[in-house]
Amino acid sequence: MKRMKKNRRKRNEVVTAYAFLLPNLVGLTVFVFFPMIYAFYVSLHDWNALSPKVFIGFDNYIEMASDKRWWASVGRTFLFTLIYVPALYCLSLFFAVILNNLKQKYQSIARTMFLLPFAITSVISAVIWMFLYDPRNGVLNQFLSSLGFDKLEFLGSTNQALVSIVAVILWINIGYNMIIFMASIKEIPKDYYEAAKIDGASAWRAFRSITFPLLRGTSTFILIVTMIASFTVFDQIMVMTSGGPASSTEVSVLYIYKQAFEFLNMGYASALAVILFLIIFILSLAQLRLYTKKG
Amino acid sequence: MKLKKSTLTIFAIVCGLLMIAPIYFLVVGAFKTPDTVFDLSLHLSNFTFDNIKQVFSETNIVRAIVNSLIVSVTVTVVAMLIHAMAGYALARLNFPGKTFTFGWIISTLMVPFSVIMIPLYMVVQNLGMANSYLGLIVPMIFNAYGIFLFRQFYLEFPKELEEAAYVEGLSIAGTFFRLVLPLSKPIIVPLTIGFFTANWNNYLWPMIINQKEELNVVQVALANIVGGGYETEWSVMLAAALISAIPTFILFFIVQRHLVEGVKTTGIK
Repeated sequence: MKRMKKNRRKRNEVVTAYAFLLPNLVGLTVFVFFPMIYAFYVSLHDWNALSPKVFIGFDNYIEMASDKRWWASVGRTFLFTLIYVPALYCLSLFFAVILNNLKQKYQSIARTMFLLPFAITSVISAVIWMFLYDPRNGVLNQFLSSLGFDKLEFLGSTNQALVSIVAVILWINIGYNMIIFMASIKEIPKDYYEAAKIDGASAWRAFRSITFPLLRGTSTFILIVTMIASFTVFDQIMVMTSGGPASSTEVSVLYIYKQAFEFLNMGYASALAVILFLIIFILSLAQLRLYTKKG
Repeated sequence: MKLKKSTLTIFAIVCGLLMIAPIYFLVVGAFKTPDTVFDLSLHLSNFTFDNIKQVFSETNIVRAIVNSLIVSVTVTVVAMLIHAMAGYALARLNFPGKTFTFGWIISTLMVPFSVIMIPLYMVVQNLGMANSYLGLIVPMIFNAYGIFLFRQFYLEFPKELEEAAYVEGLSIAGTFFRLVLPLSKPIIVPLTIGFFTANWNNYLWPMIINQKEELNVVQVALANIVGGGYETEWSVMLAAALISAIPTFILFFIVQRHLVEGVKTTGIK
Protein backbone atom coordinates (compact mmCIF):
# COMPACT_ATOMS: atom_id res chain seq x y z
CA MET A 1 0.00 0.00 0.00
CA LYS A 2 2.69 2.43 1.06
CA ARG A 3 4.84 1.32 -1.86
CA MET A 4 2.04 1.88 -4.33
CA LYS A 5 1.57 5.36 -3.01
CA LYS A 6 5.26 6.02 -3.37
CA ASN A 7 5.24 4.79 -6.95
CA ARG A 8 2.30 6.95 -7.78
CA ARG A 9 4.05 9.93 -6.23
CA LYS A 10 7.09 9.19 -8.36
CA ARG A 11 5.05 8.99 -11.56
CA ASN A 12 3.29 12.13 -10.57
CA GLU A 13 6.66 13.81 -10.02
CA VAL A 14 7.87 12.98 -13.53
CA VAL A 15 4.64 14.12 -15.14
CA THR A 16 4.63 17.36 -13.14
CA ALA A 17 8.26 18.03 -14.02
CA TYR A 18 7.66 17.69 -17.75
CA ALA A 19 4.49 19.75 -17.54
CA PHE A 20 6.36 22.50 -15.67
CA LEU A 21 9.14 22.50 -18.23
CA LEU A 22 6.97 22.21 -21.31
CA PRO A 23 6.26 25.91 -22.02
CA ASN A 24 9.94 26.77 -21.83
CA LEU A 25 11.12 23.76 -23.80
CA VAL A 26 8.74 24.64 -26.62
CA GLY A 27 9.48 28.37 -26.43
CA LEU A 28 13.23 28.06 -26.26
CA THR A 29 13.21 25.58 -29.13
CA VAL A 30 11.08 27.77 -31.38
CA PHE A 31 12.48 31.19 -30.47
CA VAL A 32 16.14 30.52 -29.64
CA PHE A 33 17.39 27.07 -30.60
CA PHE A 34 15.76 26.72 -33.99
CA PRO A 35 16.67 30.29 -35.08
CA MET A 36 20.27 29.51 -34.15
CA ILE A 37 20.37 26.50 -36.49
CA TYR A 38 18.31 28.32 -39.08
CA ALA A 39 20.77 31.24 -39.09
CA PHE A 40 23.48 28.90 -40.32
CA TYR A 41 21.14 27.30 -42.88
CA VAL A 42 20.09 30.69 -44.27
CA SER A 43 23.73 31.81 -44.39
CA LEU A 44 24.33 29.17 -47.10
CA HIS A 45 21.73 30.81 -49.35
CA ASP A 46 21.32 33.82 -51.54
CA TRP A 47 18.07 35.29 -50.35
CA ASN A 48 16.55 38.74 -50.47
CA ALA A 49 13.48 37.81 -48.37
CA LEU A 50 11.14 38.22 -51.36
CA SER A 51 12.27 35.63 -53.93
CA PRO A 52 12.93 31.95 -53.09
CA LYS A 53 16.22 31.00 -51.42
CA VAL A 54 19.02 29.83 -53.73
CA PHE A 55 21.60 27.48 -52.21
CA ILE A 56 25.09 28.85 -52.82
CA GLY A 57 27.22 26.89 -50.33
CA PHE A 58 29.82 29.01 -48.60
CA ASP A 59 29.76 31.85 -51.14
CA ASN A 60 28.46 34.33 -48.55
CA TYR A 61 31.45 33.56 -46.34
CA ILE A 62 33.82 33.96 -49.27
CA GLU A 63 32.21 37.29 -50.13
CA MET A 64 32.55 38.39 -46.51
CA ALA A 65 36.30 37.71 -46.51
CA SER A 66 36.80 40.61 -48.91
CA ASP A 67 34.01 42.87 -47.57
CA LYS A 68 36.05 45.81 -46.30
CA ARG A 69 33.02 47.51 -44.78
CA TRP A 70 32.31 44.40 -42.67
CA TRP A 71 35.85 44.07 -41.35
CA ALA A 72 35.96 47.79 -40.66
CA SER A 73 32.79 47.35 -38.57
CA VAL A 74 34.41 44.46 -36.70
CA GLY A 75 37.49 46.58 -36.03
CA ARG A 76 35.28 49.41 -34.80
CA THR A 77 33.43 47.01 -32.49
CA PHE A 78 36.77 45.96 -31.00
CA LEU A 79 37.82 49.59 -30.66
CA PHE A 80 34.53 50.41 -28.96
CA THR A 81 35.06 47.51 -26.54
CA LEU A 82 38.64 48.50 -25.90
CA ILE A 83 37.56 51.98 -24.83
CA TYR A 84 34.25 51.17 -23.18
CA VAL A 85 35.03 48.10 -21.06
CA PRO A 86 38.14 49.37 -19.22
CA ALA A 87 36.51 52.78 -18.73
CA LEU A 88 33.34 51.28 -17.29
CA TYR A 89 35.29 48.90 -15.09
CA CYS A 90 37.64 51.52 -13.65
CA LEU A 91 35.01 54.21 -13.13
CA SER A 92 32.45 51.95 -11.47
CA LEU A 93 35.07 50.39 -9.20
CA PHE A 94 36.53 53.82 -8.40
CA PHE A 95 33.19 55.29 -7.39
CA ALA A 96 32.21 52.13 -5.49
CA VAL A 97 35.30 52.50 -3.32
CA ILE A 98 34.75 56.23 -2.84
CA LEU A 99 31.09 55.86 -1.96
CA ASN A 100 31.79 53.02 0.43
CA ASN A 101 33.92 55.39 2.48
CA LEU A 102 31.13 57.94 2.91
CA LYS A 103 28.77 58.25 5.84
CA GLN A 104 25.56 56.28 5.30
CA LYS A 105 23.47 59.38 4.65
CA TYR A 106 25.74 60.82 1.96
CA GLN A 107 26.38 57.38 0.57
CA SER A 108 22.73 56.79 -0.23
CA ILE A 109 22.33 60.29 -1.70
CA ALA A 110 25.35 59.82 -3.95
CA ARG A 111 24.25 56.31 -4.87
CA THR A 112 20.84 57.54 -5.98
CA MET A 113 22.47 60.22 -8.13
CA PHE A 114 24.79 57.72 -9.80
CA LEU A 115 22.00 55.23 -10.31
CA LEU A 116 19.47 57.69 -11.70
CA PRO A 117 20.72 57.52 -15.34
CA PHE A 118 20.00 53.79 -15.17
CA ALA A 119 16.30 54.71 -15.10
CA ILE A 120 16.74 56.27 -18.56
CA THR A 121 16.23 53.99 -21.57
CA SER A 122 18.84 53.78 -24.31
CA VAL A 123 16.74 55.75 -26.81
CA ILE A 124 16.02 58.53 -24.31
CA SER A 125 19.70 58.73 -23.40
CA ALA A 126 20.47 59.10 -27.11
CA VAL A 127 18.02 62.02 -27.40
CA ILE A 128 19.37 63.82 -24.33
CA TRP A 129 22.98 63.56 -25.46
CA MET A 130 22.28 64.55 -29.05
CA PHE A 131 20.95 67.74 -27.50
CA LEU A 132 23.96 68.17 -25.20
CA TYR A 133 26.37 67.40 -28.08
CA ASP A 134 24.76 69.88 -30.49
CA PRO A 135 27.72 71.24 -32.50
CA ARG A 136 26.55 74.86 -32.55
CA ASN A 137 24.71 75.59 -29.31
CA GLY A 138 24.87 72.43 -27.26
CA VAL A 139 25.44 72.68 -23.53
CA LEU A 140 28.87 71.05 -23.82
CA ASN A 141 30.01 73.47 -26.50
CA GLN A 142 28.73 76.44 -24.55
CA PHE A 143 30.78 75.16 -21.65
CA LEU A 144 33.88 74.70 -23.80
CA SER A 145 33.48 78.20 -25.28
CA SER A 146 33.11 79.76 -21.86
CA LEU A 147 36.45 78.20 -20.91
CA GLY A 148 37.99 79.62 -24.08
CA PHE A 149 38.26 76.32 -25.99
CA ASP A 150 37.17 75.71 -29.56
CA LYS A 151 33.80 74.10 -30.09
CA LEU A 152 33.79 70.40 -30.90
CA GLU A 153 31.79 68.60 -33.57
CA PHE A 154 31.14 65.55 -31.34
CA LEU A 155 28.73 63.30 -33.27
CA GLY A 156 29.42 65.18 -36.50
CA SER A 157 33.10 64.33 -36.53
CA THR A 158 34.53 61.02 -37.72
CA ASN A 159 37.14 61.17 -34.95
CA GLN A 160 34.88 62.09 -32.05
CA ALA A 161 31.60 60.31 -32.78
CA LEU A 162 32.51 56.86 -31.44
CA VAL A 163 34.03 58.21 -28.21
CA SER A 164 31.02 60.49 -27.76
CA ILE A 165 28.74 57.45 -27.94
CA VAL A 166 30.95 55.53 -25.49
CA ALA A 167 30.43 58.38 -23.02
CA VAL A 168 26.63 58.08 -23.28
CA ILE A 169 26.64 54.35 -22.62
CA LEU A 170 29.08 54.80 -19.74
CA TRP A 171 26.81 57.41 -18.26
CA ILE A 172 23.90 54.95 -18.18
CA ASN A 173 25.79 51.95 -16.84
CA ILE A 174 28.34 53.21 -14.30
CA GLY A 175 25.79 53.40 -11.48
CA TYR A 176 24.51 49.87 -11.82
CA ASN A 177 27.97 48.30 -11.99
CA MET A 178 29.03 50.51 -9.13
CA ILE A 179 26.33 49.07 -6.85
CA ILE A 180 27.38 45.54 -7.81
CA PHE A 181 30.91 46.41 -6.68
CA MET A 182 29.59 48.12 -3.55
CA ALA A 183 27.60 45.02 -2.59
CA SER A 184 30.72 42.86 -2.86
CA ILE A 185 32.95 45.32 -1.03
CA LYS A 186 30.48 45.31 1.87
CA GLU A 187 31.01 41.55 2.21
CA ILE A 188 34.74 41.90 2.82
CA PRO A 189 35.31 41.44 6.57
CA LYS A 190 36.18 44.72 8.30
CA ASP A 191 38.98 43.06 10.34
CA TYR A 192 41.10 42.77 7.19
CA TYR A 193 41.21 46.55 6.93
CA GLU A 194 41.76 47.01 10.64
CA ALA A 195 44.68 44.60 10.54
CA ALA A 196 46.10 46.48 7.56
CA LYS A 197 45.70 49.74 9.42
CA ILE A 198 47.58 48.39 12.44
CA ASP A 199 50.37 47.30 10.08
CA GLY A 200 50.47 50.90 8.86
CA ALA A 201 49.23 50.19 5.33
CA SER A 202 48.10 53.20 3.30
CA ALA A 203 44.58 53.35 1.85
CA TRP A 204 45.96 52.65 -1.62
CA ARG A 205 47.92 49.67 -0.30
CA ALA A 206 44.82 48.31 1.44
CA PHE A 207 42.88 48.63 -1.79
CA ARG A 208 45.60 46.87 -3.76
CA SER A 209 46.14 43.96 -1.40
CA ILE A 210 42.69 43.48 0.11
CA THR A 211 39.81 45.00 -1.87
CA PHE A 212 41.02 44.39 -5.40
CA PRO A 213 42.04 40.71 -5.01
CA LEU A 214 38.84 39.88 -3.12
CA LEU A 215 36.75 41.42 -5.88
CA ARG A 216 38.15 39.06 -8.48
CA GLY A 217 34.91 37.13 -8.87
CA THR A 218 32.81 40.28 -9.22
CA SER A 219 35.36 41.76 -11.62
CA THR A 220 35.28 38.71 -13.88
CA PHE A 221 31.50 38.76 -13.91
CA ILE A 222 31.31 42.46 -14.77
CA LEU A 223 34.04 42.25 -17.41
CA ILE A 224 32.46 39.32 -19.25
CA VAL A 225 28.91 40.67 -19.18
CA THR A 226 30.10 44.14 -20.24
CA MET A 227 32.24 42.78 -23.05
CA ILE A 228 29.36 40.77 -24.51
CA ALA A 229 27.09 43.82 -24.29
CA SER A 230 29.76 45.91 -25.91
CA PHE A 231 30.24 43.49 -28.82
CA THR A 232 26.52 43.70 -29.51
CA VAL A 233 26.07 47.45 -28.97
CA PHE A 234 23.34 48.93 -31.18
CA ASP A 235 20.59 51.15 -29.73
CA GLN A 236 22.32 54.47 -29.07
CA ILE A 237 24.37 54.25 -32.25
CA MET A 238 21.30 53.57 -34.36
CA VAL A 239 19.48 56.59 -32.93
CA MET A 240 22.38 59.04 -32.67
CA THR A 241 24.33 58.49 -35.87
CA SER A 242 22.93 55.44 -37.74
CA GLY A 243 26.58 54.50 -38.19
CA GLY A 244 27.74 57.88 -39.55
CA PRO A 245 29.43 60.19 -40.19
CA ALA A 246 31.14 58.36 -43.06
CA SER A 247 30.57 54.96 -41.36
CA SER A 248 32.77 56.03 -38.45
CA THR A 249 30.38 54.52 -35.88
CA GLU A 250 29.12 51.58 -37.91
CA VAL A 251 29.63 48.64 -35.52
CA SER A 252 29.03 44.99 -36.47
CA VAL A 253 25.45 44.59 -35.28
CA LEU A 254 24.47 47.80 -37.06
CA TYR A 255 26.04 46.56 -40.30
CA ILE A 256 24.28 43.20 -39.95
CA TYR A 257 21.01 45.05 -39.33
CA LYS A 258 21.51 47.17 -42.45
CA GLN A 259 22.41 44.19 -44.63
CA ALA A 260 19.34 42.31 -43.42
CA PHE A 261 16.63 44.91 -43.10
CA GLU A 262 17.74 47.75 -45.36
CA PHE A 263 19.52 45.95 -48.23
CA LEU A 264 17.43 42.78 -47.68
CA ASN A 265 20.45 40.49 -48.06
CA MET A 266 19.10 38.00 -45.52
CA GLY A 267 21.49 35.20 -46.49
CA TYR A 268 24.58 37.38 -46.38
CA ALA A 269 23.51 39.08 -43.14
CA SER A 270 23.00 35.65 -41.56
CA ALA A 271 26.56 34.67 -42.51
CA LEU A 272 27.78 37.86 -40.80
CA ALA A 273 25.72 37.00 -37.72
CA VAL A 274 27.24 33.51 -37.58
CA ILE A 275 30.73 35.03 -37.65
CA LEU A 276 29.76 37.54 -34.94
CA PHE A 277 28.60 34.57 -32.86
CA LEU A 278 31.97 32.88 -33.33
CA ILE A 279 33.76 36.09 -32.31
CA ILE A 280 31.73 36.31 -29.09
CA PHE A 281 31.79 32.52 -28.56
CA ILE A 282 34.74 32.39 -26.14
CA LEU A 283 33.17 35.15 -24.04
CA SER A 284 29.80 33.41 -24.03
CA LEU A 285 31.47 30.19 -22.96
CA ALA A 286 33.18 31.98 -20.10
CA GLN A 287 29.85 33.53 -19.09
CA LEU A 288 28.19 30.12 -19.14
CA ARG A 289 30.91 28.70 -16.90
CA LEU A 290 30.36 31.53 -14.44
CA TYR A 291 26.69 30.64 -14.17
CA THR A 292 27.13 26.89 -13.89
CA LYS A 293 30.04 27.06 -11.49
CA LYS A 294 27.88 28.83 -8.98
CA GLY A 295 25.15 26.19 -9.34
CA MET B 1 41.42 61.86 8.62
CA LYS B 2 38.22 63.75 9.30
CA LEU B 3 39.05 66.37 6.69
CA LYS B 4 39.79 63.65 4.18
CA LYS B 5 36.33 62.17 4.58
CA SER B 6 34.62 65.49 3.95
CA THR B 7 36.74 66.02 0.83
CA LEU B 8 35.65 62.60 -0.40
CA THR B 9 32.03 63.44 0.32
CA ILE B 10 32.20 66.71 -1.60
CA PHE B 11 33.95 65.00 -4.50
CA ALA B 12 31.34 62.22 -4.64
CA ILE B 13 28.42 64.65 -4.48
CA VAL B 14 29.92 66.86 -7.21
CA CYS B 15 30.41 63.80 -9.45
CA GLY B 16 26.86 62.74 -8.62
CA LEU B 17 25.58 66.16 -9.65
CA LEU B 18 27.45 65.82 -12.96
CA MET B 19 25.75 62.44 -13.42
CA ILE B 20 22.29 63.93 -13.05
CA ALA B 21 23.09 67.12 -14.99
CA PRO B 22 21.93 65.63 -18.35
CA ILE B 23 18.57 64.80 -16.74
CA TYR B 24 18.33 68.38 -15.47
CA PHE B 25 18.86 69.67 -19.02
CA LEU B 26 16.21 67.25 -20.30
CA VAL B 27 13.63 68.47 -17.78
CA VAL B 28 14.39 72.16 -18.20
CA GLY B 29 14.67 71.97 -22.00
CA ALA B 30 11.28 70.32 -22.29
CA PHE B 31 9.64 73.46 -20.89
CA LYS B 32 11.45 76.09 -22.92
CA THR B 33 10.36 77.89 -26.05
CA PRO B 34 12.02 76.59 -29.24
CA ASP B 35 14.28 79.65 -29.63
CA THR B 36 15.50 79.62 -26.01
CA VAL B 37 16.02 75.88 -25.63
CA PHE B 38 19.80 76.24 -25.73
CA ASP B 39 19.78 79.24 -23.38
CA LEU B 40 21.19 78.01 -20.09
CA SER B 41 19.87 80.87 -17.99
CA LEU B 42 16.59 80.25 -16.25
CA HIS B 43 14.12 83.03 -17.06
CA LEU B 44 10.64 82.18 -16.00
CA SER B 45 9.31 84.07 -19.02
CA ASN B 46 10.80 81.44 -21.34
CA PHE B 47 8.86 78.62 -19.75
CA THR B 48 6.01 77.11 -21.67
CA PHE B 49 3.79 74.03 -21.74
CA ASP B 50 3.42 74.28 -25.52
CA ASN B 51 5.98 71.53 -26.16
CA ILE B 52 4.17 69.11 -23.93
CA LYS B 53 0.83 69.99 -25.52
CA GLN B 54 2.35 69.59 -28.97
CA VAL B 55 3.69 66.15 -28.09
CA PHE B 56 0.29 65.06 -26.87
CA SER B 57 -1.56 66.43 -29.87
CA GLU B 58 0.84 65.74 -32.74
CA THR B 59 2.60 62.52 -31.81
CA ASN B 60 1.34 59.11 -30.73
CA ILE B 61 3.66 58.88 -27.75
CA VAL B 62 0.87 58.21 -25.25
CA ARG B 63 -0.40 55.28 -27.28
CA ALA B 64 3.20 54.07 -27.54
CA ILE B 65 3.63 54.23 -23.77
CA VAL B 66 0.47 52.17 -23.37
CA ASN B 67 1.80 49.66 -25.93
CA SER B 68 5.09 49.40 -24.06
CA LEU B 69 3.23 48.81 -20.82
CA ILE B 70 1.09 46.07 -22.37
CA VAL B 71 4.15 44.35 -23.84
CA SER B 72 6.45 44.67 -20.83
CA VAL B 73 3.86 43.70 -18.24
CA THR B 74 2.64 40.68 -20.23
CA VAL B 75 6.16 39.42 -20.92
CA THR B 76 7.12 39.84 -17.27
CA VAL B 77 4.06 38.16 -15.78
CA VAL B 78 4.15 35.16 -18.11
CA ALA B 79 7.93 34.85 -17.80
CA MET B 80 7.80 34.87 -14.00
CA LEU B 81 5.20 32.11 -13.97
CA ILE B 82 6.75 29.71 -16.47
CA HIS B 83 10.35 30.36 -15.42
CA ALA B 84 9.43 29.71 -11.79
CA MET B 85 7.81 26.44 -12.84
CA ALA B 86 10.80 25.38 -14.92
CA GLY B 87 13.28 26.45 -12.24
CA TYR B 88 11.35 24.50 -9.63
CA ALA B 89 11.25 21.36 -11.76
CA LEU B 90 15.00 21.59 -12.34
CA ALA B 91 15.81 22.21 -8.69
CA ARG B 92 13.40 19.89 -6.91
CA LEU B 93 11.83 17.24 -9.07
CA ASN B 94 13.44 14.07 -10.35
CA PHE B 95 12.79 12.98 -13.89
CA PRO B 96 14.71 11.21 -16.64
CA GLY B 97 16.89 13.55 -18.70
CA LYS B 98 17.17 16.20 -16.00
CA THR B 99 20.87 16.97 -16.39
CA PHE B 100 20.60 17.11 -20.15
CA THR B 101 17.55 19.37 -20.00
CA PHE B 102 19.28 21.78 -17.65
CA GLY B 103 22.43 21.83 -19.79
CA TRP B 104 20.40 22.45 -22.92
CA ILE B 105 18.38 25.28 -21.38
CA ILE B 106 21.44 26.97 -19.97
CA SER B 107 23.33 26.66 -23.27
CA THR B 108 20.77 28.95 -24.91
CA LEU B 109 22.25 31.68 -22.71
CA MET B 110 25.21 31.70 -25.06
CA VAL B 111 23.21 33.02 -27.98
CA PRO B 112 23.10 36.82 -28.07
CA PHE B 113 19.88 38.26 -29.45
CA SER B 114 21.61 40.08 -32.30
CA VAL B 115 22.94 36.78 -33.65
CA ILE B 116 19.48 35.28 -34.09
CA MET B 117 17.47 38.41 -34.89
CA ILE B 118 17.23 37.59 -38.62
CA PRO B 119 15.98 33.98 -38.35
CA LEU B 120 13.81 34.99 -35.39
CA TYR B 121 12.17 37.59 -37.58
CA MET B 122 11.48 34.88 -40.18
CA VAL B 123 10.12 32.44 -37.61
CA VAL B 124 7.79 35.00 -36.07
CA GLN B 125 6.61 36.15 -39.48
CA ASN B 126 5.89 32.59 -40.57
CA LEU B 127 3.89 32.05 -37.40
CA GLY B 128 1.77 35.00 -38.51
CA MET B 129 2.74 37.05 -35.47
CA ALA B 130 4.50 39.94 -37.21
CA ASN B 131 2.88 43.35 -36.73
CA SER B 132 0.92 42.21 -33.70
CA TYR B 133 1.21 42.26 -29.93
CA LEU B 134 1.94 38.52 -30.06
CA GLY B 135 5.04 39.12 -32.15
CA LEU B 136 6.22 41.80 -29.75
CA ILE B 137 5.52 39.71 -26.67
CA VAL B 138 5.94 35.97 -27.19
CA PRO B 139 9.59 35.72 -28.37
CA MET B 140 10.74 37.95 -25.50
CA ILE B 141 9.33 35.64 -22.81
CA PHE B 142 11.82 32.82 -23.23
CA ASN B 143 15.02 33.52 -21.40
CA ALA B 144 17.21 30.95 -19.71
CA TYR B 145 18.55 33.55 -17.30
CA GLY B 146 15.20 33.67 -15.50
CA ILE B 147 14.98 29.87 -15.30
CA PHE B 148 18.52 29.70 -14.00
CA LEU B 149 17.96 32.20 -11.19
CA PHE B 150 14.70 30.54 -10.11
CA ARG B 151 16.52 27.21 -10.01
CA GLN B 152 19.26 28.72 -7.83
CA PHE B 153 16.63 30.07 -5.48
CA TYR B 154 14.75 26.77 -5.18
CA LEU B 155 17.94 24.80 -4.57
CA GLU B 156 18.30 26.73 -1.33
CA PHE B 157 14.61 26.70 -0.46
CA PRO B 158 13.88 24.73 2.79
CA LYS B 159 12.55 21.25 1.95
CA GLU B 160 10.61 20.82 5.21
CA LEU B 161 7.73 23.02 4.09
CA GLU B 162 7.05 20.96 1.00
CA GLU B 163 7.30 17.70 2.91
CA ALA B 164 4.70 18.95 5.36
CA ALA B 165 2.43 19.81 2.44
CA TYR B 166 2.83 16.34 0.95
CA VAL B 167 1.85 14.80 4.28
CA GLU B 168 -1.27 16.98 4.17
CA GLY B 169 -2.05 15.29 0.86
CA LEU B 170 -1.26 18.19 -1.48
CA SER B 171 -0.04 17.27 -4.97
CA ILE B 172 3.35 18.45 -6.23
CA ALA B 173 1.77 21.06 -8.48
CA GLY B 174 -0.56 22.14 -5.69
CA THR B 175 2.36 22.50 -3.31
CA PHE B 176 4.22 24.61 -5.81
CA PHE B 177 1.42 26.99 -6.67
CA ARG B 178 -0.11 27.34 -3.19
CA LEU B 179 2.95 27.17 -0.99
CA VAL B 180 6.25 27.62 -2.82
CA LEU B 181 5.36 30.31 -5.37
CA PRO B 182 3.91 32.75 -2.80
CA LEU B 183 7.13 32.34 -0.78
CA SER B 184 9.34 33.12 -3.80
CA LYS B 185 9.10 36.89 -3.47
CA PRO B 186 12.85 37.38 -2.79
CA ILE B 187 13.65 36.15 -6.29
CA ILE B 188 10.48 37.34 -8.05
CA VAL B 189 11.01 40.98 -7.09
CA PRO B 190 14.49 41.46 -8.61
CA LEU B 191 13.61 39.36 -11.66
CA THR B 192 10.41 41.33 -12.23
CA ILE B 193 12.40 44.55 -12.20
CA GLY B 194 14.96 43.02 -14.55
CA PHE B 195 12.44 41.64 -17.05
CA PHE B 196 10.27 44.73 -16.99
CA THR B 197 13.11 47.21 -17.55
CA ALA B 198 14.78 45.05 -20.20
CA ASN B 199 11.53 44.86 -22.15
CA TRP B 200 10.62 48.49 -21.60
CA ASN B 201 14.06 49.33 -22.95
CA ASN B 202 13.79 47.02 -25.94
CA TYR B 203 14.24 48.87 -29.20
CA LEU B 204 15.81 46.57 -31.80
CA TRP B 205 13.23 43.76 -31.75
CA PRO B 206 10.09 45.96 -31.88
CA MET B 207 11.70 47.96 -34.69
CA ILE B 208 12.26 44.78 -36.71
CA ILE B 209 9.02 42.94 -36.07
CA ASN B 210 6.43 45.69 -36.14
CA GLN B 211 5.70 48.11 -38.98
CA LYS B 212 2.26 49.21 -37.76
CA GLU B 213 2.39 52.70 -36.36
CA GLU B 214 -0.40 52.12 -33.85
CA LEU B 215 1.55 49.23 -32.31
CA ASN B 216 4.84 51.13 -31.94
CA VAL B 217 6.38 50.83 -28.51
CA VAL B 218 7.67 53.96 -26.82
CA GLN B 219 11.35 53.51 -27.73
CA VAL B 220 10.55 53.15 -31.41
CA ALA B 221 8.04 56.01 -31.37
CA LEU B 222 10.58 58.32 -29.73
CA ALA B 223 13.35 57.30 -32.12
CA ASN B 224 10.97 58.04 -35.01
CA ILE B 225 10.23 61.52 -33.66
CA VAL B 226 13.96 62.24 -33.45
CA GLY B 227 15.01 60.67 -36.72
CA GLY B 228 11.80 61.30 -38.61
CA GLY B 229 13.42 63.73 -41.00
CA TYR B 230 10.95 66.46 -40.06
CA GLU B 231 12.33 69.70 -38.77
CA THR B 232 11.31 68.80 -35.24
CA GLU B 233 12.26 71.45 -32.73
CA TRP B 234 14.62 70.39 -29.94
CA SER B 235 12.16 71.63 -27.34
CA VAL B 236 9.50 69.25 -28.68
CA MET B 237 11.91 66.31 -28.88
CA LEU B 238 12.97 66.90 -25.29
CA ALA B 239 9.36 67.10 -24.19
CA ALA B 240 8.66 63.79 -25.94
CA ALA B 241 11.72 62.24 -24.29
CA LEU B 242 10.67 63.56 -20.88
CA ILE B 243 7.15 62.15 -21.21
CA SER B 244 8.59 58.78 -22.26
CA ALA B 245 10.93 58.81 -19.28
CA ILE B 246 8.23 59.34 -16.66
CA PRO B 247 7.10 55.69 -16.27
CA THR B 248 10.63 54.41 -15.60
CA PHE B 249 11.40 57.34 -13.30
CA ILE B 250 8.39 56.50 -11.18
CA LEU B 251 9.38 52.85 -11.19
CA PHE B 252 12.93 53.79 -10.25
CA PHE B 253 11.92 55.58 -7.10
CA ILE B 254 9.58 52.76 -6.09
CA VAL B 255 12.07 49.96 -6.62
CA GLN B 256 15.42 51.62 -5.93
CA ARG B 257 15.84 49.77 -2.67
CA HIS B 258 15.08 46.45 -4.37
CA LEU B 259 17.48 47.33 -7.16
CA VAL B 260 20.28 47.70 -4.65
CA GLU B 261 19.28 44.53 -2.80
CA GLY B 262 18.58 42.62 -6.00
CA VAL B 263 22.18 42.98 -7.03
CA LYS B 264 23.05 40.50 -4.34
CA THR B 265 20.56 37.92 -5.63
CA THR B 266 20.88 38.36 -9.37
CA GLY B 267 24.41 39.64 -9.69
CA ILE B 268 27.02 36.94 -9.56
CA LYS B 269 29.96 37.26 -7.25
